[in-house]
Amino acid sequence: MALPTESDAPCVIGNQILIRGTLVGEEDLIVEGRVEGAITLAGHLTVAANGVIEANLDVDSVEVRGEVVGDISAARSITIQEGARVRGNVRAPRVIINDGARFRGSVEMKVDLPDDLAKVLSRG
Amino acid sequence: MANTVIGSTIVVDGEISGDEDLVILGTVKGQISLRENILVERDGVVEANVETATITVHGSVTGDIHASDRAELRADCRVVGDIHAPRILIADGASFKGNVDMDS
Repeated sequence: MALPTESDAPCVIGNQILIRGTLVGEEDLIVEGRVEGAITLAGHLTVAANGVIEANLDVDSVEVRGEVVGDISAARSITIQEGARVRGNVRAPRVIINDGARFRGSVEMKVDLPDDLAKVLSRG
Repeated sequence: MANTVIGSTIVVDGEISGDEDLVILGTVKGQISLRENILVERDGVVEANVETATITVHGSVTGDIHASDRAELRADCRVVGDIHAPRILIADGASFKGNVDMDS
């Protein structure tokens, strides 16, 4: 069997694979297939062009080239590339949406609001 | 070349299904249904019922294994559960507890 045995192989969910449930980890992950449920990752998540995620994501950083339906929360950055489709709310210190990406949802970055607006929001 | 690798720090709790080779270095709990080859590496842990074509275990599997082609229990592996497969190999040094059924 020609399966690789090196332990430093990158973690990949291949394009013929469906995972339904939760996925938790502390390393970089590439999704070329389909994940339904939830992903919690202390690492960088890459959703490949044909990857589909129907899950809430809690990650260090994420780059979307495929499709994500669900809320995304990243400790560092969220990048939505050209051709990607994202539906859900995204929250990260840095959110990058490139030309050609399709996105629907709310964006929450760490923004210093003007004093008067901050006051109104904190009251309401 | 396997396309799907569950890395050593990854824990999957749920169901994995699909049509390509799977290498497990981390932990999978729940259910695995594949029509290809599964390799459970030395530190890999599977707590799931497994349906596959072939499976090679170097690590630990707790659950029943249904392989349509072959199940290989390599030295130093630890398997608890029943195995159904037309061809079953248990290497010297493997730990196994369960039933073996080669009639399929």
